[in-house]
Amino acid sequence: MTDDEHETTADPTGDEPAVSDGGTASDGGSIVDDDFPADGVPDTPHGDDHGLPPTHSIRRWFVTTNHKDIGLLYTVTALFFLIFGGLLALLMRLELWAPGADFLAAGSYNQAVSAHGLIMVFWFLSPLAFGFANYVVPLQIGAKDLAFPRLNALSYWLYLFSGILMGISFFQGSTFNGGWTMYAPLNMPVYTPDIGGTTTVLALILFVASATVGSVNFLTTMHRMRAEGMTLRRMPIFTWSILLTVWMMLFAFAALLAALMLLSSDRLIGTAYFAESSPGGAMLWAHLFWFFGHPEVYIVFFPALGAMAEIFQTFTGRRLVGRKWFIGAMLLVAIQSFVVWMHHMFLTSINLEIKTLFMATTIGISLPFDLMVFSLIYTMLKGKIRFKTPFLFGFGALVLFILGGITGVFLGAVVLDYTLRGTYWVVAHFHYVMVGGVTGLVGGLYYWFPKMTGRMYDETLGKVHFGMYFVGFNLLYFPMFLAWETPRRVFEYAPALTGWHQLSTVGAFLLGSSFLVMFYNLFKSAFVGEQVEGQPWDFASTAEWTVPSPPPLENFPGVPTYASGRLEFEDGGSAQTDGGAVHGKAAALPGSEVTETEHGGGESHASIWPFVLGAGAFLVLLGLSGLQRGYFPEGTMGGVHIGTAIVGGVLAFGSLVAMTREKFHGPEGPFGESWPFTTVENTKLGLWIFLASDVILFGAFIGAYVFSRVAHGWTDWHHLIPEAHVVLPGLINTYLLLTSSFAVVIAMEFAKRENRLGVVGSLVATVGLGVGFLINKGIEWQHLFHIHTEAFPAGWDPGTNIASTTFYVTTGLHALHVIVGLVIAGYMIFRAWGGAYMGDDEPIEYFGLYWHFVDIVWLFLFPLFYIV
Amino acid sequence: MHGGLLLQVAGQLEPDGNRAELFGTIFEVFLVLGTAVGVVVIGYMLYNAYRYRDDGTAPAEETEDIGRPTLGELPEGGGHGRKLLLSFTLSAIIVISLILWTYWALLYVEAGAAQPAEPEMEDGTTVDVTGYQFGWQFEYPNGNTTDGTMYVPEGERVRIVVTSSDVMHNFGIPAFKTKTDAIPGQTTSTWFGPVEDGEYTIKCYELCGAGHSYMTGTVEVIDAEEYERMFVEPMNSTNASDGGTERVDPATAAGGSSAPSVGLPADGGVATRLPARTAATEGVLRA
Ligand code: HEM
Ligand SMILES: [Cu+2]
Ligand SMILES: [Cu+2]
Repeated sequence: MTDDEHETTADPTGDEPAVSDGGTASDGGSIVDDDFPADGVPDTPHGDDHGLPPTHSIRRWFVTTNHKDIGLLYTVTALFFLIFGGLLALLMRLELWAPGADFLAAGSYNQAVSAHGLIMVFWFLSPLAFGFANYVVPLQIGAKDLAFPRLNALSYWLYLFSGILMGISFFQGSTFNGGWTMYAPLNMPVYTPDIGGTTTVLALILFVASATVGSVNFLTTMHRMRAEGMTLRRMPIFTWSILLTVWMMLFAFAALLAALMLLSSDRLIGTAYFAESSPGGAMLWAHLFWFFGHPEVYIVFFPALGAMAEIFQTFTGRRLVGRKWFIGAMLLVAIQSFVVWMHHMFLTSINLEIKTLFMATTIGISLPFDLMVFSLIYTMLKGKIRFKTPFLFGFGALVLFILGGITGVFLGAVVLDYTLRGTYWVVAHFHYVMVGGVTGLVGGLYYWFPKMTGRMYDETLGKVHFGMYFVGFNLLYFPMFLAWETPRRVFEYAPALTGWHQLSTVGAFLLGSSFLVMFYNLFKSAFVGEQVEGQPWDFASTAEWTVPSPPPLENFPGVPTYASGRLEFEDGGSAQTDGGAVHGKAAALPGSEVTETEHGGGESHASIWPFVLGAGAFLVLLGLSGLQRGYFPEGTMGGVHIGTAIVGGVLAFGSLVAMTREKFHGPEGPFGESWPFTTVENTKLGLWIFLASDVILFGAFIGAYVFSRVAHGWTDWHHLIPEAHVVLPGLINTYLLLTSSFAVVIAMEFAKRENRLGVVGSLVATVGLGVGFLINKGIEWQHLFHIHTEAFPAGWDPGTNIASTTFYVTTGLHALHVIVGLVIAGYMIFRAWGGAYMGDDEPIEYFGLYWHFVDIVWLFLFPLFYIV
Repeated sequence: MHGGLLLQVAGQLEPDGNRAELFGTIFEVFLVLGTAVGVVVIGYMLYNAYRYRDDGTAPAEETEDIGRPTLGELPEGGGHGRKLLLSFTLSAIIVISLILWTYWALLYVEAGAAQPAEPEMEDGTTVDVTGYQFGWQFEYPNGNTTDGTMYVPEGERVRIVVTSSDVMHNFGIPAFKTKTDAIPGQTTSTWFGPVEDGEYTIKCYELCGAGHSYMTGTVEVIDAEEYERMFVEPMNSTNASDGGTERVDPATAAGGSSAPSVGLPADGGVATRLPARTAATEGVLRA
């Protein structure tokens, strides 16, 4: 991650102007009001694509870093996963046609249940939303691209490869079959021994990596690169929903990452976090998972809500009622989503006080949704409502969401939840809300389809799709409320309920086939549909509709600004030859020294390395999946696993190096509005945001330690630790790390004074001290591994007990951070030797940020693991 | 309209109320109100969607200053703010009061679960339940154990203390509307009853492996005195044929109607061994 911070360091010397031809902006005579150049102006000429191959070339899709291309890739890939997850669902529905395992074997049913949930939530729903976010958000805020275009491509490739890894897991014995919630200790290799189970966990890790990279990128972009006048409060509602989504993602996914890392440590090297032998193991997983899991339900729902709000505004021809309140409600939900997780654990051993508290927060979080629902409804008043396909889906989504919300209130009443939990009531409830969200996104797909393809879908087929979809949906899920006494995740149910389940299965096939209509419609229309201009919808107001469909590579015919209260494009002061309505503004953007020519061009749009890096990471994890209890399987299979991991490692490392060396210039900003980060440069902000998620990661690791220790008995814990575990090595390491941090500060000083040897010398000192830290730790570990005492005859290794597990894994995660830091520092020594950083201490400062962070973490770990 | 129901629930909150009835009443109130709210809200939506449809003619209001969104404007909100806050407040009041009202029922249920596990509890008994892949084991106040079938005394309240010996399960008896997690290394407790004579099904409500769907059991309600003799009074020759045997057949020992097998602690101590996985589920495991 930190290696990528050089994203924008290449010199912005590009001299190609972004405004392809001066005529574009002034074609219509004036750029005011509804008369945007989009109408009838041809796309950017081909000469202007910055080395990016044309769209019909396969190569383009491997090298592109442009947000619109990535958006398309996300959308199409997500739809593939919809088919994947959907087929699994149909298999389940066939099995449920009658009670008993007459179609799938029990094990296969559990695989289908688990994989369906994981695929739909992770690989379909969020990525579909991110397809739109990628495409639309930069356009809506007036940015040419995301802040780190290559990282954006990397997000996509990590996503795709994680999905492929998930698919492969089916062929490694069995994919994970313990449910999408992956409860402990069923998730331990003792109970789910297949390699495929491990692969699923690793695939999720790769997905989380993708999500984290994406969140950092979106947050930096949205906070730093808004057009002048586009303050946070004025952002379009879809953009708002994405902003809050990515903030939630940043923190929630860090918690999930922690859970998954602990789990894979258990599965790969045989540690004991979630084993039965750890008294708090089962609850630890539940807490970690739901701390992520509840925000996740809003993470998947918010983008749909945003899309619905845009659709309502456009197709009713009314502005969103209570927009301020709507945004406030979303903000409240986003924050509160982190304090409701225990409502998924009402039947566990948590006590009444806590239950009461979480009941209160749960009701609290449902109220803002009431407000949003009413806001959407009232937006219709005095409207000019056109029942085009996007509106039908948006409207349908609202109906479904209302039903899902009402049935959620049942679950919020704890007494009722005691009975409804673990039944089809829950299944029906969350499908109404989540698939209700899908409905909204399908509306979004129709809504933005003309923007993304430049062609209109077939309206009749769209309506047919909606009809089949809506009937199919309710036929599928409503009977589940009636058959609620069926336990979740079983294929045995009371014969009296057979009728409802059969209705449901019929509905499932109707719903499934409605998507065939959609695929046919969209596929055909993408090639032969009626061509559209910039703005096919009356009353659409957001910026994506002011540019041609699809928009040119760099989006706008000039620098977008809302300074006058309406969108206008500045032409860098030169091209506004006619149609005096184009205000030639001086580059008086606050906090910006970027001149117009720099805005003008030179942005890069192509790099193969994100793809290679994704492939490398994929191979590493595929190779590692073979590990169990620290050993690869015997024989050729083991060799294949090790070989795969090594090849992947080389590819990944090579592409990281290549990426830092590549001359790549992304848009930098600020372009007008960057509150509250006006003075923080993009890379620095990105790094800060990343570290924020890292704080959560470490926090979760430390939390896991404290939780396990409390469950075991805080002082009893000492019996799990050998005498040989002493304070001294930890103390020495504290000194080593603190001094190394100091050395980085000195390196920065030397860089300011342009003293090359000084920089090299102090960086070498940093690395030396860091290596000393690792060596010292290595000696300590070796010693502990091989002690022979009465209590620990076979040594004290990571798998010995829960105390050794928490010790090695938590400090091990820290050691990994040290190693990454050392690799970066090594690279910087190499560059510094060549004369880099003279008078430019920024890269050293960024590295220092990271290094100090790693240092501070150690200051927490040391007392926790050596003293108390 | 709901007054009757409310009174009815208040009645159910008496200490010997039955959980199934309690659930039934609250659920009913929620259903009625939920349906009403759903019908009103969705009806209102449909009505407005129809009323303000674009039929090609400019509606009369169009002459007023409607203020339609225009391309390239900075987003802003529409009117109707007062209406919005009003309906929001209304819905908030409904939801909050509904949930607060059920809170008393929750306290009642929780109080039952928290009662101490006294075997000589005046009216009622405590059974320890252990889930395993894929079945249930029950241990009674006198240390006797049964597997697969849970015996409970007719007309009394039963408190259950549940745990698991392997993965997580969830112990539920749908007929009694009772359910609680079975977590390895921890116990949870809840209660049900008083129950009427009969046989009821136990189900597992948490995915626990390949045999999950088949992880059922039976509750058999037996005569309170018989229960007392078999499962509460300390073991002696009346409820065990002889100190050496591990299994006793209540059908012969106590003249019951069925023939369950009861595991006795060989040494009068507490039986803790779990039966090995039965052959029936063994096949399922690898399926
Ligand atoms: C409107 C207010 C809502 C309330 C009061 C509510 C309440 C609840 C409660 C209490 C549960 C736990 C049920 C149980 O496991 O016993 C639950 C489950 C769930 N809810 Fe909601 N919910 C609401 C909205 C949503 C939304 C917006 C989403 C997603 C977009 C959602 C998705 C889910 C999911 C996925 C589960 C099941 C998780 C699982 O066990 O697999 N809910 N809901
Ligand atoms: Cu939740
Ligand atoms: Cu189960």
